[in-house]
Amino acid sequence: MSGRGPTAPGPAATVGAIALNTFREAIRDRVLYLLLAFALLVIGAGRFLALLTVGDEEKIVKDLGLSAVSIFGLLTAVFVGVSLVFKEIEKRTVLTLLVHPVHRWQFVAGKYAGLATVLLVNTGLMGAVLSLLVVLRGGAPGPVAIGIVMIFVELLVVAAFAVLFSSFTNPILAAVGTVAVYVAGHLSWSFDLLKRRLPEGAARVACDAARAIVPNLDRLDVKAEAVHALPIAPARVALGIAYGAAYALAVLVLACAVFSRRDFE
Amino acid sequence: MSRRRGIGALLLALSVATAGWARVGLARVEGAGREGRPLLYLPNGRHLRAMTLGHAPLAADLLYLWAIQYYSDYRRADRFRFVEHVFGTVIADLDPRYIDPYWLGAMILTVEAGDLEGGLRILEKGLERNPDAWVLAYLAGFECYRAGQYDRAAGYFGRAARVEGAPSAVRRARAGMLARHGDLREAIAGWREVLEDPGSDAATRAIAERQIRDLTIRADVANLEAGLREYRARFGRFPRRLRDLAERGIVASVPTDPDGAPYRLDPASGRVSSAAGRVLVGR
Repeated sequence: MSGRGPTAPGPAATVGAIALNTFREAIRDRVLYLLLAFALLVIGAGRFLALLTVGDEEKIVKDLGLSAVSIFGLLTAVFVGVSLVFKEIEKRTVLTLLVHPVHRWQFVAGKYAGLATVLLVNTGLMGAVLSLLVVLRGGAPGPVAIGIVMIFVELLVVAAFAVLFSSFTNPILAAVGTVAVYVAGHLSWSFDLLKRRLPEGAARVACDAARAIVPNLDRLDVKAEAVHALPIAPARVALGIAYGAAYALAVLVLACAVFSRRDFE
Repeated sequence: MSRRRGIGALLLALSVATAGWARVGLARVEGAGREGRPLLYLPNGRHLRAMTLGHAPLAADLLYLWAIQYYSDYRRADRFRFVEHVFGTVIADLDPRYIDPYWLGAMILTVEAGDLEGGLRILEKGLERNPDAWVLAYLAGFECYRAGQYDRAAGYFGRAARVEGAPSAVRRARAGMLARHGDLREAIAGWREVLEDPGSDAATRAIAERQIRDLTIRADVANLEAGLREYRARFGRFPRRLRDLAERGIVASVPTDPDGAPYRLDPASGRVSSAAGRVLVGR
């Protein structure tokens, strides 16, 4: 994209404009509202489900709430993320956009930033409702808030994969791929298990490599600690955020590279 | 058009009626064969944990809620089957820090099924994974007390008392169990701990003082009566004075009661009593 005039906006402004547009587009989508409404319903239902228990009702409210934030966040990332780039290619609107002084990486980054904003707003809203429920029951919202932050970090990684898959395949395959990454990410510990059962050699190295490559989403999971108010080391939170952000960035760079090589003719 | 609608309505009515009839029939055919079946296919907790993809605590909640409903059905013939597996293994593997299933499973076994050992196994699993959960050790102690196993109960109450933050009532329970088991000197030491516990309120301290006083009398009387029996075995009669026991080297010294008054001896029966005499708890 050469020949940019002196008044051309900077990369950050371009990415920001695309992100804002993506966010606006996403919040016009009825599916998003449906997901959000259903998530809030499930979080609220925790109060009634807790009535069936014998013992600690607050635990059930927290467990159901955190899982709802996580699952509905995943669905949002998948449903919104997988069609983000594909839709623009399918409708050819990407061509209109790319004739402007916009780099392809800016387009992908803008789309991702828009999706991340959607996830931030959704997770924040669900988290606020859950925290309110916890406070109303006399609990401390602090550990739950840490749990929600870590869920958001996990969703950022998943969203990056959704954008990556969306940049080179159709929404159905992209959704399957994103969900597969989520499943593999939560089972990445099983490579350690497998390694212990294998003889020394290439197979063990392959297990280590797979463990390193697949996103270690299990390491970002602090839901149990948040619910039982167990101490969560600040280093674990900080390193978790750093890991999630760096991993998402790496996937995004890959998505930009893939998208840059695509031929729209 | 109206004919097509009529056929449609007829088909709808027929299909609904057939489905309803078949549903009732299915329930009848399955009948008693369903007993215990949901539990038969309940996967191992560790496998279930892997399947939940990071939502194991929620899975533990749902399984716990389901187990409450399942085991609350008093019409079920094999109601106590798999209780230990469901509460002490599957739910515990899904969320080892979840305390409620341990004690509820243990209560079902001990109170309803009369299986003390099964209940204690569940509580032991809970304690192994949650050494800071004093309530599990306290409940184990309480169930042993209900079963009349005071020594074992004292052991569990002692475990609960060692956990930081355990209420002073746990120490009271331990001292009480030691007294019931007959370890009077240990019980006195236990009540002294309650007395010296800064967490004890005024009422608790008053109880501890009374218990120490009563148990001291009981321990002294038991010690002196044992000495009297030994005296009679040696000399063929009870002594006229308690002081004789010390003079003959049978007891180190003759104590006074907590009020400072001497203990009284009935030389005919060899029974010792105290002027401070009280009806003693647990005697």
